[in-house]
Amino acid sequence: MRDIQLAGAWLARHGLGDTQPTPALATRLAVRRRADVADSVMLAALIIAVALVQVSRMGDDHPGPRSWVAVAALVGAVLLLRFLLDRWVRAVDRRAAAGLVRRATHPVPPGWRTVVGVPQLTFVVASTGGALALAASALTVDDAEVRYGAVVLLIGLTGVAAGIAVRIGHLLTRPVVADGEDTLTADLVMRIEDGRQATTPTFQWTLPVVLFGTAPGWWGALFVALVVAGLVAFVAIQRRTPHAAAAARHAMATR
Amino acid sequence: MIVVIDSSSAVPPFEQLRSQLAKQIQDHTLVVGTRLPTVRRLAADLGLAVNTVGRAYRELEEAGLIETRGRNGSFVSAAGQQAQEKARRAAESYAAVVVSLGIDAAEAVRIVQAALRTGPATSTST
Repeated sequence: MRDIQLAGAWLARHGLGDTQPTPALATRLAVRRRADVADSVMLAALIIAVALVQVSRMGDDHPGPRSWVAVAALVGAVLLLRFLLDRWVRAVDRRAAAGLVRRATHPVPPGWRTVVGVPQLTFVVASTGGALALAASALTVDDAEVRYGAVVLLIGLTGVAAGIAVRIGHLLTRPVVADGEDTLTADLVMRIEDGRQATTPTFQWTLPVVLFGTAPGWWGALFVALVVAGLVAFVAIQRRTPHAAAAARHAMATR
Repeated sequence: MIVVIDSSSAVPPFEQLRSQLAKQIQDHTLVVGTRLPTVRRLAADLGLAVNTVGRAYRELEEAGLIETRGRNGSFVSAAGQQAQEKARRAAESYAAVVVSLGIDAAEAVRIVQAALRTGPATSTST
């Protein structure tokens, strides 16, 4: 019941107040909300866990690569959980679609320009490239510990980049769940919101903390500069990009 | 632009799909050169079997409304528009003949309807 109310509020917020919230839509939105919360909790847990590993290393006179293996395992676990969350969302979508008597879709499917957009895609590519360059720069440091960490970071960031590519691919190809024009618009709004969420570089800003404090000062300064520049660009893009609902309605009108 | 399939309808799903796409091509909602979704993609979106969508595409292709360019996919064909243009020109010629013979519009329409009912073989033999 609460999910239905929240779905009604979501529709009204996106200018679809005339559309009746269905149980299928409520379930799809609810699973996305839960996945978002789980994603945020995972990120927070990763930062805390890495901080704990760093603290344990400080008390150790000869910290070996074992702690980096622990960090790599944590990063891997978070990436795996993120993949499973995405799969859960898609499974709920599939079940919702299977229950519809009428099915509607676009004769011309929305492309990546609609679902993700040029600014957002450029932003995530630049952020990932920046984070990878930062990790690679740590390989030049004359300290085996830092280089171990840099390798872990590079592996983690490569995994994140691959995960984003796979997620965008799914967003562009996953079946539409709609039974009319309004629900088709709602589906596109969800797709655009998912696309924007998938390309927000939270991991690219978070993962480098595995080296923060271990790497030299110049590296730490570069990391902070990268995050600040990323946040400024993020705010600028958010202010200039039309709301997901407006983008969806524009796409529906022109295709 | 939207395509809707109602599984409770008496009209077969392939015909629902074919007629909606044909209408959108004929009224230029889908313009020449527009790339249509792949058969698999459309089947997944509409909850249909791949063969059902394949049959609708085949019939649209036979009608000259779409063309398949190998692995590049299916596109709205210019042939459909050319056919419409040819029919429009033939209608103009027919209208000119009707006017010159002093036949009234209602009778002219009845003649066309009769010709359409009897099919192209009869109309070419006259």
